[in-house]
Amino acid sequence: MSFVLVQVIVGGLLLGAVYALFSSGLTLVWGMMNIVNFAHGDFVMLGMYVAFVVFTLFGVGPLAGAPLATLLLATLGVVVYFGLIRDIMKGPMLAQILGTFGLALLLRYSVFWWFGANFLSLPQNIVGGTFAIFGLRIEASRLLAGAVALLVTLGLHLLLTRTSLGSKMLAVAEDSTAAQLMGIRPDTMQAIAWAIAAGATGLAGALIATFFYIVPTVGETLGIVAFVTVSLGGFGSVPGALVAGLLIGVIESLSGYLIGAVYKDIVVYALFLFFLWFRPQGLMGKA
Amino acid sequence: MRRYLWPALLLALIIAYPLVFSTPFQQRLGALVLLYAIAASAWNVVGGYAGQVSVGHVVFFGCGAYAAMGAYTHFALSPLVGVPTGIVLAVAIAAIIGVPTLRLAGHYFSMATIAVAELVRLVVTNTNYLGAAVGLSGPTVPRNVFDLSFISALPYYYLFLIVLAITLLITWRMTNSRMGFYLRAVRDSERAARSLGAPTSRTKLYAFMLSAALTSVAGALYAMMFGFVDPESGLGILISVKILIMAALGGAGLLFGPLVGAAILVPLEEISNSLLGGKGAGLTFVVYGAIILLIARFQPGGILTLVNRLMERRGKLKETAASAAEASHAS
Amino acid sequence: MKFRRFLGLFCAAVISAALAGQGSDSAAAEDKVVKIGAVFPMTGGAASAGVHAKYAIEVAMDIINNAHPELGDFPLAKNAGLAGLGGAKVDVVFADNQGSPATGQNQALRLITEEKVVALTGAYQSGITLTASAIAERYSIPFVNGESVAANLTERGFKWFFRTTPIASDFAKIYYEFLTDMKAAGAKTDNVALVHDNTEYGTSVAGTITSAFKEKGLAITLDVAYAVNATDVQSQVLQLKEKNPDVVIMISYTSDAILFSKTMQALDYKPPMIVADDSGYSDPSFIKAVGKISQGTFNRSSWSVGPPGSPTAIIADLYKKKSGDEMDDTAAREMQGFFVLVDAIDRAGSTELAKIQAALKATDLKPEQLMMGYKGVKFDDKGQNILASGVIIQLQDGENYVSVWPKASAAKAPIVPYKGW
Repeated sequence: MSFVLVQVIVGGLLLGAVYALFSSGLTLVWGMMNIVNFAHGDFVMLGMYVAFVVFTLFGVGPLAGAPLATLLLATLGVVVYFGLIRDIMKGPMLAQILGTFGLALLLRYSVFWWFGANFLSLPQNIVGGTFAIFGLRIEASRLLAGAVALLVTLGLHLLLTRTSLGSKMLAVAEDSTAAQLMGIRPDTMQAIAWAIAAGATGLAGALIATFFYIVPTVGETLGIVAFVTVSLGGFGSVPGALVAGLLIGVIESLSGYLIGAVYKDIVVYALFLFFLWFRPQGLMGKA
Repeated sequence: MRRYLWPALLLALIIAYPLVFSTPFQQRLGALVLLYAIAASAWNVVGGYAGQVSVGHVVFFGCGAYAAMGAYTHFALSPLVGVPTGIVLAVAIAAIIGVPTLRLAGHYFSMATIAVAELVRLVVTNTNYLGAAVGLSGPTVPRNVFDLSFISALPYYYLFLIVLAITLLITWRMTNSRMGFYLRAVRDSERAARSLGAPTSRTKLYAFMLSAALTSVAGALYAMMFGFVDPESGLGILISVKILIMAALGGAGLLFGPLVGAAILVPLEEISNSLLGGKGAGLTFVVYGAIILLIARFQPGGILTLVNRLMERRGKLKETAASAAEASHAS
Repeated sequence: MKFRRFLGLFCAAVISAALAGQGSDSAAAEDKVVKIGAVFPMTGGAASAGVHAKYAIEVAMDIINNAHPELGDFPLAKNAGLAGLGGAKVDVVFADNQGSPATGQNQALRLITEEKVVALTGAYQSGITLTASAIAERYSIPFVNGESVAANLTERGFKWFFRTTPIASDFAKIYYEFLTDMKAAGAKTDNVALVHDNTEYGTSVAGTITSAFKEKGLAITLDVAYAVNATDVQSQVLQLKEKNPDVVIMISYTSDAILFSKTMQALDYKPPMIVADDSGYSDPSFIKAVGKISQGTFNRSSWSVGPPGSPTAIIADLYKKKSGDEMDDTAAREMQGFFVLVDAIDRAGSTELAKIQAALKATDLKPEQLMMGYKGVKFDDKGQNILASGVIIQLQDGENYVSVWPKASAAKAPIVPYKGW
């Protein structure tokens, strides 16, 4: 295998890990509460802006920016849950699309109103530069994001499968009435799920900001990627989101290099459609 | 006789609108409301009545728009020729993707429709024959009346009104037919419907194809009015979301829901843009987003369901009042 | 009965439509104020360009409406208001095109019929300029475009559309001549790669450069097209690194430009020469974000700050005070287009549309009367400025662009190879 191809694949894996990072929160709420969140991309965007503000005010990088973004977004998640989600959850899917789309616009253009339309950026080497391993060039910031993606996936998976909180959350997801009879309060569980999901998304945004540009409309692009990743991985499956993210990253990278960058999205969407038609539960979702 | 007084009044108002509100911008606003009402009503057939929430409907819209502009650009024909061409194209796509896609449930179906729409948009962006990213234009100077390129919005208004009336008529006939009966069954519980022997797959497919045909007509009309289409304006996902939101806001699954939704959202968008847009602070969309959010939160069934419910309650009150009066008279 | 409520809602909608119809009634003040409409993207992905255009035009309004003796003989600056119309002031009504050709056209219609503007400018994205100017043509309203580059805009046989900016064919010429001069000075320029997005901007400019170069015998050896608003461009940079061209011509918007610079640094790729086609690379956000790792990037521009005290330097200063950013080429071109329009109205001495059109047709501005580095402004019968031209600038220190070509107007000599970081 040619050396450049290896670099392409490694780059694809790192890219895919980032996709997985900001999609894990989405798959959690989607799987647990069957809610489609059109504002997801804008949660990522908010995380990016928190990181930017932290840097502008205190001169600190993601060491402070990421935890703060996680906290703030988690709070926002709770607010959004009680303010909007709880009510539209009971409604038809249309109401969910309507509500979350309205939320997306509100968040996006509130940020636009405050920060303006300029493209912002964190300093180039805020996490350290690029280092070469066996001749492969790897950006430290992307590696960090990738490592965190693995940690987050592991953490969420353990939370859901090994902790009592997790089993309570899953119980509510499976049958909220039965869960209530068992003494679990669905409202609380779902609010917690939203807080965790939003927090994870904020974390993702803060880390992505170290190597990507920051602009209010970035949520549009990232939102669609998250949707595809989550569907491919299987709604509700956090490990699935990781695998799907990595797969999409590599496929995108390879097709961009071998066929041409204008076609790489076509390949991804075609593959995605193929999966939906013949394996709709995704790679690791429940059938 | 009184039953027909209000509807007739309303109809008269709608017909007279562009003559009463006759500045070019007001007329254009009216025409736009009707145009989007056509698209949203078309979506309603499969999204509202059949309960299959398609978020990729713009692909059919694009069929009509590109067919119309293509007829002019490549064959120097009137864009009207694009209307039947677009319909055939849209129905073909609906049939091809409908079979594997309609099998999917809920969110999977929606995701698949998004994927199809994005796929088509990306392919068109890279296809020179279809204008690639530059897009296709219509006649800048109309050669004859069939080019449908008018300065004034008045002819567009009445043309769209007629097409909307036809669309609603078709929808109404469908809901009262056996197919409409099956569709309601599918929407309420597909599994139950199937176990009772209803041909659910075929029903959904026909609804999908019908919806596609009507949506493509809306797309062709759009292209003729604006004289231009490119991948973003003819196949962009924002259009899918817009028509979906209009139908949902007004009341999906109700005949006039999309029209109500369009009548609220289109003026709202244009007016808030006219008042706030020029400032450059993005306030237009803050307002727009907040309103959509509030309506979803407090009236998820749409405005028209609220209206209907209020009417019902009022009707019930009258009933109880009438029966109470009767009872007191009887005693 | 339910229709009564529907009627209520319908009335509400109708009332809002009526409100929409409220134009301003400045009939009495008509003689004292000249109203011009400006349609730009104020929201959406291109909002940065639109908002900067607004600042630029507001600075222009200030220069026109107030006396600015420090600008010397710069047109319209000396007096307050328009001398040709007895000191009338200029008022610009801005509208947001939201990145949509339909909205752009609707807003243009509103500006024409409700705000009663006597001319329009805008609209940045070529597809929107297309639809907005189409409606202006229908209403016989002059439309002056300062920045859209699609070739088809001046191929429609319009009589009321004028464009001051150089277009793709001009750029191709500039690049060819620049590369030829660089070759004569000893640089290697035989292998040229084009990197462009798949928008109408990227494809049309790339296509024009390819055919223009081919005509002169210089073939493009690598054409890297990518989808706009990319999340990752690693594969593209790796392709370039592999083929190792002598010159890379970048045709990108801001977001992709930033991403390319970052990725090139990450992958340690330094082409011998990078020539950027304005747009993203001229955006102050680009310089702020990645200027320091893109040192030595050549750029095409028609704008240059000039020596201190010159009209351009004063204008740049006014713009910085208003917007907080350095003047960039795109905003400057929009501002120039606006000045040309108002100059024509001034020469027409009236707000009669036909007179403005005639004045525009007769425009013959000399280089000293312009803020841009054009050879002049003179429109052919298609409405295109045939004297539009540009220079090559270079980001030598990573913070500011300086003009480096043609030699006659260069502030510094070009530095090769590309330094990067």
